Amino acid sequence: MEQSVNYLGLIPLFPLLGAVLIGLLHVFTCNRTKLPEKVYGILACVGPVLSFVMALKVFVALKGLPPESRFLVHKAFTWFSVGDLHINMGFLADPLSCLMLLFVTFIGSLIHIYSIGYMGGDKNYGKFFAYMNLFLGSMLVLVLGDGPVVMFVGWEGVGLCSYLLISFYSEDRSNVLAGNKAFIVNRVGDLGFVLGMSFLFWAIGAQGFDYLSLKAHVNDPAMTQGVLLTVCLLLFVGATGKSAQIPLYVWLPDAMAGPTPVSALIHAATMVTAGVYMVARFSFLYAEVALAGSIVAWVGILTALLAAIFGMFQEDIKKVLAYSTVSQLGYMFAGVGVAAYSAGIFHVFTHAFFKALLFLGAGSVIYALHHEQNIWKMGGLKNKMPKTYVTMVIGALALAGCPPFSGFFSKDEILYSALATGHFGIWAVGVLVAGMTAYYTFRMIFVVFHGEPRDHHAYEHAQESPAVMTVPLIILAVGALFAGLLNLPAIFGGDQIVSHWLAPSVTEHHPHAGVFIEILAIGASVVAFAIGIKIAYAKFGKGAPEPSFTGFADFAYHKFYVDELYDKVIVQPYKAIGSSIWKVIEPNVTDAPVKGVARLYMVLGTAFKVFQVGYVRVYALYMVLGLSLMSLLLSQSLN
Amino acid sequence: MFEHVLSVIIFLPILAGLILLATPASRSVARFTGLAVSLATLVLSLDLYAGFQATGHLEFVENIPWIESLGISYALGVDGISLFILMAGSVLLPLVYFVFGTREKGYYANLLLVQGAMAGAVCAADMILFYIFWEVMLLPVFFMLGLYGGPQRLPATLKITLYTIAGSLLMLAAIVYLGVSYHAQFGEWSFAMDKMAALNLTGRVAAVAFFGFMIAFAIKIPLFPFHTWLPDAYTEAPTATTFVLSAIMAKIGVYGVIRFVVPVFDLEFARFAILLAYAGVIGMMYCGLAAIAQKDFKRMLAFSSASHMGVIALGVFCMNIQALTGSIYQIVAHATSTGVLFLFAGILEERTNTRTIDDLGGIAAKAPVFALYFAIAMLASVGLPGTSGFIGEFMIVLGAIKFNTAVGVLAGTTLIIGVCYMLWMFQRVFFEKTASRSENFKELSLVEGLAFLPVILLIIVMGIYPHPFLSKITPSTALQFAQPASVVAQAPASNAQNLGLTIEQK
Repeated sequence: MEQSVNYLGLIPLFPLLGAVLIGLLHVFTCNRTKLPEKVYGILACVGPVLSFVMALKVFVALKGLPPESRFLVHKAFTWFSVGDLHINMGFLADPLSCLMLLFVTFIGSLIHIYSIGYMGGDKNYGKFFAYMNLFLGSMLVLVLGDGPVVMFVGWEGVGLCSYLLISFYSEDRSNVLAGNKAFIVNRVGDLGFVLGMSFLFWAIGAQGFDYLSLKAHVNDPAMTQGVLLTVCLLLFVGATGKSAQIPLYVWLPDAMAGPTPVSALIHAATMVTAGVYMVARFSFLYAEVALAGSIVAWVGILTALLAAIFGMFQEDIKKVLAYSTVSQLGYMFAGVGVAAYSAGIFHVFTHAFFKALLFLGAGSVIYALHHEQNIWKMGGLKNKMPKTYVTMVIGALALAGCPPFSGFFSKDEILYSALATGHFGIWAVGVLVAGMTAYYTFRMIFVVFHGEPRDHHAYEHAQESPAVMTVPLIILAVGALFAGLLNLPAIFGGDQIVSHWLAPSVTEHHPHAGVFIEILAIGASVVAFAIGIKIAYAKFGKGAPEPSFTGFADFAYHKFYVDELYDKVIVQPYKAIGSSIWKVIEPNVTDAPVKGVARLYMVLGTAFKVFQVGYVRVYALYMVLGLSLMSLLLSQSLN
Repeated sequence: MFEHVLSVIIFLPILAGLILLATPASRSVARFTGLAVSLATLVLSLDLYAGFQATGHLEFVENIPWIESLGISYALGVDGISLFILMAGSVLLPLVYFVFGTREKGYYANLLLVQGAMAGAVCAADMILFYIFWEVMLLPVFFMLGLYGGPQRLPATLKITLYTIAGSLLMLAAIVYLGVSYHAQFGEWSFAMDKMAALNLTGRVAAVAFFGFMIAFAIKIPLFPFHTWLPDAYTEAPTATTFVLSAIMAKIGVYGVIRFVVPVFDLEFARFAILLAYAGVIGMMYCGLAAIAQKDFKRMLAFSSASHMGVIALGVFCMNIQALTGSIYQIVAHATSTGVLFLFAGILEERTNTRTIDDLGGIAAKAPVFALYFAIAMLASVGLPGTSGFIGEFMIVLGAIKFNTAVGVLAGTTLIIGVCYMLWMFQRVFFEKTASRSENFKELSLVEGLAFLPVILLIIVMGIYPHPFLSKITPSTALQFAQPASVVAQAPASNAQNLGLTIEQK
């Protein structure tokens, strides 16, 4: 059924080799001669572009197969094999991974090109691209891996790169702390992933621990509802870490400490959506336990709500976008949670375009203003940076869910699925969040680009970014505009190409709830969008002073003090336990018996010292005493 | 490949060490001799590795009767379990001659002695021979710690001595008990390790003997709560000694459990495995938590090492092939990551004259190659996939889940605990602003860089392509689990065969 093609392995290999090559060049030249930036720039783009070309080849090959047998596999080598455990370094291209592959390599290539401009002049230019290539390679391993363990390799690999790139400007302690936070919080999620994998393995993994074998054995008697629920929830814990959901979302806003292209590629378009991909990948498990799906959906939609609340009060342009990412990821989980896997993945797809676009646009603004990120120091930039402005408005409309921009269709598909499957609560919260999204997105646009400039000095020096940065913006804007058409539902005369494409990979049933429900869903979304943007325009459309927050707004501005709470409840106690073990328990409890023995010897030694007087006559006396005692004992025993 | 290759690997360093002690060689001659001998041993070991057939049984066997009246023989051999500990020693020990300034002659002589004795302990197939090598390998450690250690070396030496004497006495008693039992049950004297599995041991004495072995090995590993000698000894010892202790000697403790305790005391082992597993897990958490409180990076690594040893020991107690194989793999991974980190810590100390984490900063900008090497070893130590550390850790956690869910879940927290203290240390030493002490930090020299390169590459190769390594281990670990059943079923027959064989040999 499945066809083996060996070029699959090349897709992650190209950027990985690029990373090694660039990394070595950087390490050996950085403290002596500087290589020209062009060398790194070109080397860095070769890997991603080649991977993209290979991804197209995979797509064409899959397209040529009948839908039910669209599986290409490649086993590179036996990775490890002990007892029942057989893990191959194997890759699987099916419609799901192929879709991910296409947009990851495409957007990855664009952002590499953009970075050539954005990172210009940085003293660690080479290091940056080595990490970016390493990231892309890891991401492709994650997407292409043929089973959970190989996915985990990419999963942790992207986590490492995320850490390295967040702490990229490592002289500044706060950046490194943000990196540490990302790594550690992700590790908490990864524990869930590893445990989930382990339980899954002991249930059905012995017959093959790759997706296709697992899917074939999902109805084995060993897969009881309890096991299924445990595995699904543990894997979801992993997803909440990587994809920044409640309660592990706290690392993503801090991750904005990294360079902006990193925020666009890793912390918006690709890596953070890995959790959604994982749930879709395991749709054959989630489809078997409705409860797991509901938990996923509720966690998702509540995260969407929480992040939207925070997003309304941020002053850092990247933090606004970061919370919007957390919020949109919440939508995606709501989608896959209500078993609308293709809708969730479609939102991953469209989101990658418009959010990468928004971040790169924000990067363009930040670049023009010499690393100013506070929106209350901006204003009126639309005349100075027309290309950035127009493309960002397109991105904002897509994010806010304005028809016919891409975000509208994908988000609407999720909300419609929630409604059609009877998840009214999720739908209602989703509509509310849609309105809030429109509000905070356009608050940002209006404050940054409209009205009067707030910082005249910065405004005077601002100018449009070079073509190497604006061309990627324009390409992404085209994607943000039209990507939605790929999955146009029947009501608009489309035939859901993406859903049909994904059908062989995901286990889902398309609900048919009737035209009324469909119109209700669309209508509510459009109304929410309109209200949100109207309020934003009323408050910020013609320029507004920096607000001061009180009451709930202040509470939301401080993100409900969740970071402070985690610090008090988890971080500080953790450190306190560490130092009390070291300072109190170890010397007084664990080590006490050893010290006791040492002391006992001292005491005995002191006691016996009394007899060691040093006079020969005393020792002679001991001998006589001893001999008499012995002869007494001997004579007794002989008798 | 020649017949007595194991004897050469064992006695070449021992002889060289003794000669160094006896002759008035200069410091640099001593260093060069050590390097030459350790490289020669490395070449022999690589040849041995290439010739290893992975039958699962002992290979390269040498067996010479020694004290025939008591059935004691000079018997050597390696299987997939001991091979990797032997190799870890041979591959890593040459490194200590490349780094650091030249030291006293006795320091190098002791390093050679300990190398040979450790190889002997790992290769011994006779319990008495094992015991002798075990004792011999401890002596150089005392000397190195007591003579060449840091300012607080004397209390550290006292503590390690107390612990070790207690452990050794218990083990000797247990070995004698096994020999006597063998004589009682089969009517002949033998101290051959592979024959002991046939013993039928029950009752209180067997349990006592079980704990005799177990405590001796638990001290060496060290298993919680017998670890309290470790932080002081690891911190005060010269770096090369710390490296030897953590990278190899601790593993011989684990090896002892696999060799003596698991096959011989299978009933007791099955009964107490859960207790021991908890000791492993609690030790991992306890030491991992204590690590975050350390201000001295060498002491932090000491706790980190103890924490990882808890996981490795756990793998042995889980009684399934994934966990056990994971442990063996992790032994090598830990030696190449934490062991090498100790060497890097020594380099840091030598170049900055401090061991205090907060005194340093910004080293990554000054020495990118050193930072890269350090980072790779650190990532292996936290078990990142793509490094050797992941494979073993994953299999141990996987196996632990099967053995006992609670133990497995707790074992999984090593993923989080390790990364907390490591990243925090890395941040303060390698990132942030350059501190005054690291202002003139020298990058690794070309020789140092090349010397570490094979080990750094090994970390990555063992993470990406572990299969060739595992295929040498698994036949032996599989046999560990095949044995008890077959022994129980065919005990009389195999005993008779054993007797017949010995008679024929005579």
